[in-house]
Amino acid sequence: MGYALVLVRSASLNLEAFARATGTHPDLVRRLVALGVLDAKLDAAGELWFAPSQVAVLGRVQRLRAGFGLNYAAVGLVTDLLDRIAALEAALREAGRQGR
Amino acid sequence: MPGAPRADRRDFYEILGVSRTATQDEIQQAYRKLARQHHPDVNKDPGAEDRFKEISEAHDVLSDPQTRRRYDAFGPDFRQVPEDVDPEAFQRSRAGAGTGGAGRGAGGGGGFGAGLGDDLGGINIEDLLGGIFGGRAGRGFGPIPGADAEAELELTVEEAFQGGRRSVTLEGADGRRTLDVKIPAGVTNGQRIRLAGQGGRGSEGAPNGDLYFVVQIAPHPRYRVDGRDLYVDLPLAPWEAALGTTVAVETPRGEMKVKVPPGTSTGKRLRLRHHGLPHPRGSAGHLYAEVRIMVPAKLTDEERRLFSQLADVSTFDPRRQ
Repeated sequence: MGYALVLVRSASLNLEAFARATGTHPDLVRRLVALGVLDAKLDAAGELWFAPSQVAVLGRVQRLRAGFGLNYAAVGLVTDLLDRIAALEAALREAGRQGR
Repeated sequence: MPGAPRADRRDFYEILGVSRTATQDEIQQAYRKLARQHHPDVNKDPGAEDRFKEISEAHDVLSDPQTRRRYDAFGPDFRQVPEDVDPEAFQRSRAGAGTGGAGRGAGGGGGFGAGLGDDLGGINIEDLLGGIFGGRAGRGFGPIPGADAEAELELTVEEAFQGGRRSVTLEGADGRRTLDVKIPAGVTNGQRIRLAGQGGRGSEGAPNGDLYFVVQIAPHPRYRVDGRDLYVDLPLAPWEAALGTTVAVETPRGEMKVKVPPGTSTGKRLRLRHHGLPHPRGSAGHLYAEVRIMVPAKLTDEERRLFSQLADVSTFDPRRQ
């Protein structure tokens, strides 16, 4: 079986579609947006729109909460820290490459 | 214990790195530390998820005093041993039956997997294996997608140049799995190759995460890589550099003739346009031959005479500002 580079582009999801895609109650989704754990855009009609990448973000939130019993505010902090570490590690890798 | 079949799983105490006499507090502490290290969202290693599940399973069994007692008495197959079996009688019968096949038959339990979940000690096998994320603590969530995993893929300059296929072996709970990775021609350092669905497993039918290979181009004896540009040393004799010449330069595409103009000093870069790494959707990088002037370590008498003569005649001073 071979794999190729895959480019993923798809349309935004509204609250209902996002909740369905992630198996999460829309109220909880709204709460996670309010906590800044999920990123969403509010359109003129007041509806929330989610980028498809937010499905994976919510998956990570769910796993972290399940694995460590974190509350949602703590999950927000942990995901921010993990992202910062990932960026630093990438920069470190890059620096290591240039140094050798 | 990479690649070991699930059947001879490691001892739960060994997994948590605690002694058999550890207190409940020690078990909790060991579990918390290991869980933080191996949680698949914290640790991107493709094997981390399996280790995390192993750790969680060990913790689930040892953190409950009752299941821990049964595990101590009956060993890894404790879930097959009915509740009313006396541990000491079990030990005796097991000793009598010899060493192999510990517990199987002696406990009279059915085959592994037959109704395991529901009957024994209130342990639900789903919680232990499949549903680490979805079961116990994930209340309120439905199916949870698997985490993305990341591994480094070291390629030679030639592999990055030509692309092709590479077989990569990863360690996992079900033993090793070998993936056939298609390497696009012209991948560069830090680029990610995605293998959809090959990351962490999703729970309850949720999609698996993806596995990303981060490309790392290995140091090459001849080429240095910067983005898609390649740099190669071009050693020249002083007279070649002074008078100009045409020399052969090794490139990933084969040998190329490079014209060295007269008056070329060390550090000068001769560019071979688009002879660097290819770009799948754009123009290829360049190859730069960097001039390094070399002198003979030992001069013959004739060479010494000619260099001395040159030194007397020439007014060239490379240090003059």
